[in-house]
Amino acid sequence: MAFESIYLVIDPWLIWFYRITGYAFVDFLLGTFVLAWIALLLGEMTISVSFLLVRRKIELVNQQMGKYQTMSMEALQAGDQQAYKAANKLANDAFGRSFFMQIALSAAFLWPIFFALEWMSLRFSDVEFEMLFSNRSMGFTGVFIVMYALAYIIFKRIKYRLPYFRRIKAILDSYKEYDFRQEAENSISRAP
Amino acid sequence: MDRRRLICLGVLAAIVAFAALALVGTAEAGKLEEAIAKTPQGVGKGMIDPKAPPGFMGIPGAPKPFWFFGILWGIWVGWIFSTVGAFGGIMAGVGHITVFGLADYGRSFKDTSPVLNKLLTDSIRTCNQYLVGLSSFISSITYYRMGRLVLPLGLCLAIGGILGAYLIPVLTAGKINLSHYVGYFGLIVLVIGCFLFYETTERGQASKKAAKAAAAAFEKEHIKREQGTSELAARGVEVSHWGFGKITFTFYGVEFSFAPIWPLLGGFVIAAISAFIGVGGGFLYVPFLTSVAGLPMYIVAGTSALAVFVSMVTSIFTYMFVKGTPIDFIFVGAELVGIFIGSILGPYTSKYIPDIWLKRIFVVLAVYVGVGYTTKGFLGYSIFPGM
Repeated sequence: MAFESIYLVIDPWLIWFYRITGYAFVDFLLGTFVLAWIALLLGEMTISVSFLLVRRKIELVNQQMGKYQTMSMEALQAGDQQAYKAANKLANDAFGRSFFMQIALSAAFLWPIFFALEWMSLRFSDVEFEMLFSNRSMGFTGVFIVMYALAYIIFKRIKYRLPYFRRIKAILDSYKEYDFRQEAENSISRAP
Repeated sequence: MDRRRLICLGVLAAIVAFAALALVGTAEAGKLEEAIAKTPQGVGKGMIDPKAPPGFMGIPGAPKPFWFFGILWGIWVGWIFSTVGAFGGIMAGVGHITVFGLADYGRSFKDTSPVLNKLLTDSIRTCNQYLVGLSSFISSITYYRMGRLVLPLGLCLAIGGILGAYLIPVLTAGKINLSHYVGYFGLIVLVIGCFLFYETTERGQASKKAAKAAAAAFEKEHIKREQGTSELAARGVEVSHWGFGKITFTFYGVEFSFAPIWPLLGGFVIAAISAFIGVGGGFLYVPFLTSVAGLPMYIVAGTSALAVFVSMVTSIFTYMFVKGTPIDFIFVGAELVGIFIGSILGPYTSKYIPDIWLKRIFVVLAVYVGVGYTTKGFLGYSIFPGM
């Protein structure tokens, strides 16, 4: 199935938001804001679901990173350069694993932006706004990015009032309270 | 966020915005249409048949990657990201260059329409940058929250990063032909392959084992009796001396210092490589700061996040105002869907394959892709089939 046919189905719904006030400039900003909002919500939903699916692995890697980070500081304070370098190297390795895992997971947040931009390119590829105090202009992509940033700031303020996202926050908060020192001690006691 | 940090971030954002607006030429809208119009019409090699169905970026007769294949390739890329790491970015590039046939198509315009040839080069590396760079930007935010920030270090890295992320697109956009791009891409793949290979050798494995042993020994001896650590940690990073030749700060009561020129240079080189190849270099900041500058991981993760943030803002501004580099949004979107599916599958499947064997497989792949692309880019033909 070609994607164009999907756009044909959703186009009348999306374009409705671009015809609310009758003032072209206001409608363009309003419609793009709604589109950015939809893209943001979809991204937030998919990244949270993805996070729930792989959180055990993320927890494990982050625990390792935190443990060695803390240990490197302990070594530094104790003046043990060899242990500092060793713990720092292991923390660096764990960071690499965690970083790339999160890079891949970030795609779950970003994908709707590109589908939204494609729809905008079909509708508004010729739209250009002259910028104040400059001879430059901004196309639909620029307007979308600005509206997306605005939607993100607003959503951030209300996000955790929604029960689903409150649950995600509770999980994330538990990481902040996680005691890496305790984990390090536990790992010693578990060692043969 | 304290006031001084806020002011510094504001100043950085202003520098980025000013650089993008003041130094960049006017937006080149309709770049693609112009390039197509300048290309000879016909059905032969290096020509465009206006009657052919539109393909990649709407170019008549160009290969049109089916969006579902974009998802499948994305799954592969996402899986690699979540199991092996950096090689995922390379595989994203391989998809655009080889699997979806964009490089061969672009090369066909080398003599007949150099403008279109170079525009396709820019589009491929921009697609790579969107896929990998944007994602590393998002994950860097997490590390910014987790880590601690050494502001002068972050500023030096970021200023170097701005120069690299800005100058490279401006100086090379529309100037690098596809063959050379593929050649340089191949060289980078070979370098990454060498690192992976080192990690699989006895020496590479031994250094890891030695680090683990040293860490475990320290853990047993010290960790239970340290009491004052958390109080020192609570004091955070304290900068004691700012200077052009040397910046000094203390953390955990220990003094660190660095010469600002090194993070400036490092930030520049890393951002330049990322922008040139389009592979996203966020991951290089941390090894650079821990291995070259000898700084503790505890503060490096957050500091490098600032550098990634600033260089990504620069890239976004540059692409918004400089370029009319066209992007196939559907294709990038489909690949992103695949990448996040792959990132979920990775942790579930990687436990069945030992880490060392994963690395060995990717060493072979890196040599194949690296040598294949380097020879194709600089000699005009690949010594390996399928490139």
